[in-house]
Amino acid sequence: LSREDFQRIPELAINPLGDRIINAFFSEGEDQVNFRGFMRTLAHFRPIEDNEKSKDQNGPEPLNSRSNKLHFAFRLYDLDKDDKISRDELLQVLRMMVGVNISDEQLGSIADRTIQEADQDGDSAISFAEFVKVLEKVDVEQKMSIRFLH
Amino acid sequence: EEDKEDESEEEDNDPRQNRAPRRKTLQRKNNDGKTTEKGVSRKRERDKMASTKEQRDSENKEKKTNKEKGKEKENKEKKERRSSTPSTSNSSDEESLSEEELAMLMEQVEQKKKLISTMRNKPWRMVKKLSMLREAQAFVEKFEGALGKGKGKKLYAYKMMMAKKWVKFKRDFDNFKTQCIPWEMKIKEVESHFGSSVASYFIFLRWMYGVNLVLFGLIFGLVIIPEVLMGMPYGSMPRKTVPRAEQATAMDFSVLWDFEGYIKYSALFYGYYNNQRTIGWLKYRLPMAYFMVGISVFGYSLMVVIRSMARNANESTGEGDDENFVFSWKMFTSWDYLIGNPETADNKFASITTSFKESIVDEQESNKDENIHLRRFLRVLANVLIICCLCGSGYLIYFVVKRSQTFSKMQNIGWYERNEVEIVMSLLGMFCPPLFETIAALENYHPRIGLKWQLGRIFALFLGNLYTFLLALMDDVNEKLAEEDVLRNMTHWTLLSHHNSTGNGSTATPPPLDPADVPRGPCWETTVGIEFVRLTVSDILVTFVTILVGDFIRACFVRFVNYCWCWDLEAGFPSYAEFDISGNVLGLVFNQGMIWMGSFYAPGLVGINVLRLLISMYFQCWAVMSSNVPHERVFKASKSNNFYMGLLLLILFLSLLPVAYTIMSLPPSFDCGPFSGKKRMYEVIQETIELDFPLFVAKIFSYVANPGLIIPAILLMVLAIYYLNAVSEAYQRANAELKKKMQMLREEEKNKRNNKTSTNSAMQDLEDIFKPNTKSENQPKQVEDKKIEPPNKSSPVGKQGKAAAEDVGPVNGSRGVALTPPLHMVVTRPPMPGVRTPYPGPRPHGPVPWRGRGYPRY
Repeated sequence: LSREDFQRIPELAINPLGDRIINAFFSEGEDQVNFRGFMRTLAHFRPIEDNEKSKDQNGPEPLNSRSNKLHFAFRLYDLDKDDKISRDELLQVLRMMVGVNISDEQLGSIADRTIQEADQDGDSAISFAEFVKVLEKVDVEQKMSIRFLH
Repeated sequence: EEDKEDESEEEDNDPRQNRAPRRKTLQRKNNDGKTTEKGVSRKRERDKMASTKEQRDSENKEKKTNKEKGKEKENKEKKERRSSTPSTSNSSDEESLSEEELAMLMEQVEQKKKLISTMRNKPWRMVKKLSMLREAQAFVEKFEGALGKGKGKKLYAYKMMMAKKWVKFKRDFDNFKTQCIPWEMKIKEVESHFGSSVASYFIFLRWMYGVNLVLFGLIFGLVIIPEVLMGMPYGSMPRKTVPRAEQATAMDFSVLWDFEGYIKYSALFYGYYNNQRTIGWLKYRLPMAYFMVGISVFGYSLMVVIRSMARNANESTGEGDDENFVFSWKMFTSWDYLIGNPETADNKFASITTSFKESIVDEQESNKDENIHLRRFLRVLANVLIICCLCGSGYLIYFVVKRSQTFSKMQNIGWYERNEVEIVMSLLGMFCPPLFETIAALENYHPRIGLKWQLGRIFALFLGNLYTFLLALMDDVNEKLAEEDVLRNMTHWTLLSHHNSTGNGSTATPPPLDPADVPRGPCWETTVGIEFVRLTVSDILVTFVTILVGDFIRACFVRFVNYCWCWDLEAGFPSYAEFDISGNVLGLVFNQGMIWMGSFYAPGLVGINVLRLLISMYFQCWAVMSSNVPHERVFKASKSNNFYMGLLLLILFLSLLPVAYTIMSLPPSFDCGPFSGKKRMYEVIQETIELDFPLFVAKIFSYVANPGLIIPAILLMVLAIYYLNAVSEAYQRANAELKKKMQMLREEEKNKRNNKTSTNSAMQDLEDIFKPNTKSENQPKQVEDKKIEPPNKSSPVGKQGKAAAEDVGPVNGSRGVALTPPLHMVVTRPPMPGVRTPYPGPRPHGPVPWRGRGYPRY
């Protein structure tokens, strides 16, 4: 699959974060994704089942655990992969989501306010742990799951 | 490639092994691979075993391949290794394997099975996994049949095969069930155009349809069908015949529309049923069935609603205050990923923009000072106004119902007078909610709170209307009961006089009076049933007409007249309609409440409702897609689910009350219905127990019904509720504690990772003692015993002293006991910067700047 194939999906095409989602499928520098890579990315969206939590405590965490799901979402925002969402990255996202309807300074203050809400260690950026804390009350397990057989 | 290296390993380890058997193995593997290829690809989705075909190779080959496979497994498997290959004797035992061989074989098979089931979690490459899987499956297939001894072999193999077939069947059945879910594609389409909140309404509608279908099945199958098939036919009894006076107009459409005439005297209403104890050759006890079905309708509905609520409660992660991360949430979670339509996406953009603007405005406003007193006054004023409205509407309904009673006594009544009650109620339902909204603008609440108030008020309005209606109906019923006494005597006398007149002078039995001529008592139950049915029908009509006019005609108007209108119709007033989720859901809930109330007196009501829900589904789907636009405001769908279920539950209880009251305390009509002639309706149970059950059952029931037994039972249930409540609270508290712990863990890790000093106040004090010039962020925490604490992180060289204090680990400041060890430590070993101080227990040597997680050893 190539990027153009993904862009033909309407839900992705109109999504402001669509390009980033598509990028998440492709590994570094590659332009094609095979089935395994596709599956690997989609595996993040498997629903969490109760009995899965008990087995495999020794092995690596399954791809669809809450933390890995959140990590996937985190990587959508963290473009330079420094494990932090900086103010600029937030501004980029905001501009994509809102367009030109809100003035730049207002966008700036929204970004500042967001960081102020989420940041706990004062480094003016949102780290992964802070991101997790922000989305603590959000039902990620349900929302980031594709339920095929429901 | 690992495959190749494994094979080379094999070759190395088994130099003696001649190629032939391996080739045979490979061939056989390939054959099995091919034949099970299809099975394998299907198994990709299920992680179970293939459907077997029983293969019985000769024992020799089996043993040999066993041996080879054992060796192959040794080389390839990274998990348990078998130390010894099975000691298969090459002497050919065709019939049976020895005990140990059997055991080992079984073990191997089990291993292979385990490998198959955990294949996904193995960190191997795909090619290798595929080959391992095929090989393991082939092995299992071949040897499973070999397990089991002698004659038991076949049975065992058969059992295994049946087990696998059963699993496969279950899976197929699950898939089939999913495909059978009705309207799934339609709802998905609506979801992609309008977002998940509108789709949730349709899911709710579908669920209601399912519940109503079950109720309809119950009532239809157990009450209506037996009566129609086995009861006395129409015209045979007075209660089943249209009275002579009405027969002329009984077929008129206007009469039928009012549910009088032939419909009134049909199986759809209570009055039709005969009070014969058993009917037909099956001796079907109809009155008992009628009563029990009435009760089980409520019972089933209750069970279904509560089960659904419990399921929703499981899924929601608890209501917390969500004012903490307003902007972060808007930033990260406001896109609805289920939208697939460009127009909707544009709308979503606009709504996100609006919501950001709203939040900004909110922020600014909340920073403003405002006049609290003025706000309070306005809110009180708004509430007073609304209460006035509610009372006014209640009185209006009461007045109208009373008037309709006087109307029904008059002769020439127009269509309006006949339907006045329903019209008034529907109009109230249509106009009051917007009125409430405009009054609520005075209150200046946050929109979410405002919405809840609005829903609550509409609920109160509908409830008030319904109960006023019921009260008026009760008046009617009481009147009818009084009338009955009078009529009962009259009927008696009429029959008597008829007998006398026809039996004068003849000894033959007098011809029975034509059923149409017998004077009939007023059947209050049927009247009640008719009222409910009419209410429901008018509600249905009003809903559909509202949708048609309010949405469709409006959309047509806006679309087509826009070309020649002064202002932009699409942007300004009236523009396209939005889908009113809450209004529709409330309408559905109240409709269901009316059905529950009326179904005891009009068994056909549920059938009408089923039809209505079916039509509603298609109609509303079409209307939404063709004439509505997606919402402007963000509406979080998930939290409201339990709210609507809660409303449904409340309505269920409230509709149970009138029915229970009438069953328990009103005497049934003397000449209509299955309970006629009894003093109370529930007496049918006593009758059944006495007559149909053996004697001791009656005694048991009479003991059980003793208050001395019931009151302790109720007490016990109350205690059980209290206990379970306490237990659940304890669990919630434990949950919160665990969350806090996890949070602190994370913060600790983060702090360590960010190279900060310890964050404990006690440690802070200690550090201050030794290094008074250092400063660090202090986040006092309560730390309870953490087993998985990483205390082993030693900071870089410059902070060796701190490392000393730090490496002892975070300690609970509040507990004095835990505090002493570090003090002790520090006292005995004064830290000196630059000197590596050895500590008891395993410690990292040297100024290692970074240590991952260690294990605490105090």
